[in-house]
Amino acid sequence: MFLAALTPKYGDDVSSDATLVVQLLHRDVNAFEQLYDRHSRIVYALVLRILQQASTAEEVVQDVFLQLWRNAGQYQSDRGPFVPWLLTLARNRALDHLRLKSERQRRREDQTEELPAIAKAPEYEKALDEKRRAERVRSLIGTLSAPQKKAIEMAYFEGLSHSEIANALQEPLGTVKSWIRNGLLRLKEGLQTAS
Amino acid sequence: MSEHDQFRELLEAHALNALDASERAALEAHLATGCPECVTALEEARYLVSQLAYLAPPAEPSEMLRARVLRTARAEASPAQRPKEPARTSTAIPYWLWVGVAALLLLSVYSTWNARKLQAEVAEVNQRAAAELTQREKLEHELMVAKHEAWILTDPASKKIAIWPNDKEMPMIEARWHPKMGIYVTGDKIPMPKDNKVLQLWLISKNGKPMPSHVFWPDANGKIGEMVDDPPEVLAQTKALAITEEPAGGSLQPTSTPMWVGGVS
Repeated sequence: MFLAALTPKYGDDVSSDATLVVQLLHRDVNAFEQLYDRHSRIVYALVLRILQQASTAEEVVQDVFLQLWRNAGQYQSDRGPFVPWLLTLARNRALDHLRLKSERQRRREDQTEELPAIAKAPEYEKALDEKRRAERVRSLIGTLSAPQKKAIEMAYFEGLSHSEIANALQEPLGTVKSWIRNGLLRLKEGLQTAS
Repeated sequence: MSEHDQFRELLEAHALNALDASERAALEAHLATGCPECVTALEEARYLVSQLAYLAPPAEPSEMLRARVLRTARAEASPAQRPKEPARTSTAIPYWLWVGVAALLLLSVYSTWNARKLQAEVAEVNQRAAAELTQREKLEHELMVAKHEAWILTDPASKKIAIWPNDKEMPMIEARWHPKMGIYVTGDKIPMPKDNKVLQLWLISKNGKPMPSHVFWPDANGKIGEMVDDPPEVLAQTKALAITEEPAGGSLQPTSTPMWVGGVS
């Protein structure tokens, strides 16, 4: 139910992301164009937030979408909805870039990378556009304490581990673990309530 | 707290990839057992973590990026997705190319023919030039002989020698001997030797020994005009001139009685 409430629903006249991805397997450029227009903004915003540099962010976004175009078969709709899969892919790619992974290593991963399942295919119960989704997430995270929010952002946007965050914030490791877990659980409850 | 509950507390951090190595290894070992509750919870945690992307400040990618990405995709699309190209002819080679090839072949044939024609013309010109050179040398020789003849005939140093026939019915032959220019023999109405024989001039020395000299024969009108540039004997040591009929090619010794004899004294 949690996932169902958050997964976007498209009208009858609009193809779902999963349908468009299937069309990518047939080298349908129009389907690819629709997917790019739907999701390039949030992907770019995420990558730019991680890398803090527009030119590098565009390079990574290009890599992400061309990976989708060239390896659409890597996405399997029975392992979860498309957008979280795409955002996970973009985050991993951006963090790899942030860690200055070698180009050769990243290319090797292009060919072998298989993202873990995110969720089973949910029943779509409610449509939620990108703008409302962003407002709700920001609102819920905004209720957290500043250090709690900071710890979550450091983990997500900077790819730091519990220990690294504790060192950076000069806080006990247990405290950092609690901040992150409790913050995420509050986000989860808030999203369920809001739906 | 059970071991299972302890792992449940790690799932969100694992979805964030924030676990330290030891915790991550322990959790992954537990997940490898196929715990369905944890697997489902982890999938939900991943979804939850993905929503953190919306914390990023809104940003708009450039139109250039869009154009670049879509252009790459179009370029890599299968032929079926590409814009249809205009129908081509069945040969797949444009007609103008065939025209060019044909023109090239014609030019090649013409060039070969022209080269051979030029070669033939050059050979003909060379042949003509050689003939003209031969003719010129012949004319130059004739001119030189004529000059010698004229010199011998007009120079007072030349000695006139009458060569008389043994047969009184035969015409006389005349020779003029110039000490430096040689001997010039002339005659008219001289009969042509029979049986393919030729006339041969002999210089009879003071001791009576005949020295062979030029071989000659009259022309169709019976005229003789023979120039002996380098006579084998000097005038002072020569007693007489004689002419015999000899086989073709001449002889080293006379094979017949002289038909004409003239004293040099």
